[in-house]
Amino acid sequence: MERVRLGFVLNGQPQELSIESDTPLLWVLRDVLGMNGTKFGCGMGLCGACTVHLDGVPVRSCSLPINAVANKQVTTIEGLSSNGDHPLQQAWVAENVPQCGYCQSGQIMSAAALLANTPRPSDADIDNAMSGNLCRCGTYGRIRKAIKRAAVGSWEPAEAQS
Amino acid sequence: MSLSRRQFIRNVSVFGGGLTLGFTLSAPGRAEDGAPLSPNAFLRITPEGDVIVQIHKVEMGQGTVTGIITLIAEELEVDPADVRYEMAHVDEAFKDPEYSMQVTGGSNAMRVYYQPLRQTGAAARAMLIEAASRRAALPADLLRCEQGTVVSADGNIRFSYGELVPVASQLDVPQEPVLKSAAAFKLIGKHDQRLDITPKVDGSARFGVDAPMEETLVAVVVRPPVGRGAMTSYDDRKARELPGVHSIVAIDAGVAVVASNYWRARKAADTVTLEWEPGDSLLTDSKAIDAALTAALEGDNLVLVRDDGEPPAAAAAQILEVEYNLPLLAHATMEPMNATVDPNSREVWVGTQAPDIASSFAALGLGVEADDVTVHNQFLGGGFGRRAMPDHVLEAAQIASALGQRVKLMWSREDDTQHDFYRPPMKSRLKARLGANGEVLGWRHNLAGPSLMQSTMNAMTPALAPSWVPDFLTDFLAHMAGRKDDSSVEGAKELPYAFGHIEVAYRNVETPVPLGYWRSVGHSHNAFVVESFVDELANAAGEDPVAFRRRYLPAESRHRQVLDRVAGISNWGDPPAGHYQGVAVHESFHSVVAEVVEISMENGAPKLERAYCAIHCGRVINPDIVRQQMEGGIIFGLCAALKGEITLQDGAVQQSNFHDYPLLRMNEVPEVEVAIIDSDDPPTGVGEPGTPPASAALGNAIFAATGQRLRDLPFKLS
Ligand code: FES
Ligand code: FES
Repeated sequence: MERVRLGFVLNGQPQELSIESDTPLLWVLRDVLGMNGTKFGCGMGLCGACTVHLDGVPVRSCSLPINAVANKQVTTIEGLSSNGDHPLQQAWVAENVPQCGYCQSGQIMSAAALLANTPRPSDADIDNAMSGNLCRCGTYGRIRKAIKRAAVGSWEPAEAQS
Repeated sequence: MSLSRRQFIRNVSVFGGGLTLGFTLSAPGRAEDGAPLSPNAFLRITPEGDVIVQIHKVEMGQGTVTGIITLIAEELEVDPADVRYEMAHVDEAFKDPEYSMQVTGGSNAMRVYYQPLRQTGAAARAMLIEAASRRAALPADLLRCEQGTVVSADGNIRFSYGELVPVASQLDVPQEPVLKSAAAFKLIGKHDQRLDITPKVDGSARFGVDAPMEETLVAVVVRPPVGRGAMTSYDDRKARELPGVHSIVAIDAGVAVVASNYWRARKAADTVTLEWEPGDSLLTDSKAIDAALTAALEGDNLVLVRDDGEPPAAAAAQILEVEYNLPLLAHATMEPMNATVDPNSREVWVGTQAPDIASSFAALGLGVEADDVTVHNQFLGGGFGRRAMPDHVLEAAQIASALGQRVKLMWSREDDTQHDFYRPPMKSRLKARLGANGEVLGWRHNLAGPSLMQSTMNAMTPALAPSWVPDFLTDFLAHMAGRKDDSSVEGAKELPYAFGHIEVAYRNVETPVPLGYWRSVGHSHNAFVVESFVDELANAAGEDPVAFRRRYLPAESRHRQVLDRVAGISNWGDPPAGHYQGVAVHESFHSVVAEVVEISMENGAPKLERAYCAIHCGRVINPDIVRQQMEGGIIFGLCAALKGEITLQDGAVQQSNFHDYPLLRMNEVPEVEVAIIDSDDPPTGVGEPGTPPASAALGNAIFAATGQRLRDLPFKLS
């Protein structure tokens, strides 16, 4: 496998690396750059645990060769907000969403991409955007509530959602 | 900042001689200068005022971090949000008195530790008050603890806990500290914010899979496809030529391919070929297992585990005879198995439900003593029983030992699905006799399945040199010896209905398939069988399923309470147009749960609309965690009912990843509503009891909708 030199922007920071071009972004993040917030669940695009944003679009990093990332912007859970205070992260705390927590980075990244494009998602929008993210602990109901809680200017008052 | 070994020894508790449930507070003895205040191994308060709690029941989503801190903080009068926590190392003090092991399972953390953890907080509180009394020259009864301080009755004197530690840590630990009355609780029954959420929403939570990568190689293992197959030879020539590959070593489980990162290891592993023999496993398939279970039920060697009431004198007006079948199931934790081992420092990073077993197996792989191994337990990305088993830890230790350097072993999802310890397959045959008025005269339940305990012990011991078997395991085996394995019949034997004559019988059938504990264990199959068949009886009697159950349940029983409650919140008997309801009630792990599942039919398939649940779990510690566990437990049960099935062909598992071992997704789950019965009884389990009734409630709803009685899981409508 040929080694390539390439650059991309990770959470606002330029990265330069030399690596085999078929390496999925997930393993570059985890094993090369030590960014552990993005998780491995299936390696086949089936579970969503590895979801990150590529130029703002949610992608499964386990199935995205690093070649496809060259010169693009990658955002991971670590870069979603500076203090863990993205409205979704706050809503996740308010709704006690996580159980084991393993799927939650991917869930939040999928939800963040949804809200960026659809500030007031319907239940069907939520189903569409979130059905690629598995949660073995069964936190789906709370994820739905948290997305609604965080949704801009809708679903008021926020307290009534819990 | 962890306790020094000496500190731990000072705090070691001796089970059997303690205050309650084999728990003791530390014996009198002077602490070193600068030492924290530490009434026992669970808690320490530093001179800087840090309150640090050890999480000895591992956090796998079920909420132990929050529960443990709530109990200590209640008595200690501190804000739970200000308490720091650490994942406990292996220590005698953390052995579960019911298992003689440091293990998390059986939904018992709050039940067993409700008193001891409060006593821990109360002992520290008493010592802080005594220290303040000496400092202020005031009688202790004029002082009280409040928000991390000791304050005088007039409010004029106030000490922070930290400043009292130098004096308090020198005091004898009170052996019978006074606990708060329930009326004075500020947190128990009220505190609802999970304390482990922040790291789980910002990506900083550390799971086993996130063990430090500095100087770490990544290993994957190529295994024979059959559970206990033995590798005879392998060909790694291609793999050795591939970039990033560091080394390739044979271990007991197969061939380990070690590389600079997961992807390089995986790519190289894909080129390795194996020759193998079935070893001590017989090649088997799902049909052969089913035939063995049938043969067992048709033989006459069943052990009667319950026989009460008189055989009916009245002639039966109706006799029902049916068979129920449940498949093998995988755990499918979201985090695949993994373990990181450093052979030089003898450190292990893993998320495990049984850290003492993990340390023993790491020691075995490294060829050292278990006492020399340090297990750094992490958050578990799901456990459900799977992470009580140490197979991956042994593999990682063997690889690390061969390499002489730190290795992170990573299982793929395929490894995880195909090399699990599966929920046993079970077959039940039931026979009931009904009288002319629909009254149940007799109930006979025969079950056949493998013994879980026997299988687990097989997995734990034969690989080990006899000289090695660690003391705790010997203790555990001795503890279990003479006990029969109740896990196959639990939930069937305790049938709560006052039927005329009840018989339950069981036959153990050995299978070579590796088996393990799966969320709610025997209850996961028996609740389905029993509560489905009870529904059949209600139908045969021409009676409403809730009314029928009520008739046979004692008036004051918890079963009736939860049944009535769930009937109320679900508007039982009057669902929205096009919706159908099914009900089930089941006791497990000392709690009783009733559930109603409401479905509609869409293109001939059930669509989950809503689920309702009522639980009696004694005194509630964190109500929202109870709700979470019910929501998750129900979805876990519904997922198994609709999708869960592991099948074998020639000894190999045919499923591999989420496309053929699917889980319920966001668009498929019902909205869940949970009611908790108010109770002052001691706390009982919540991690598992939500799961058992779900599949039966769903099957009963499908019957209501279609008239089809589905007796095999997963459900397949014709
Ligand atoms: S790990 Fe990428 S979708 Fe599952
Ligand atoms: S919280 Fe455990 S998998 Fe989602």
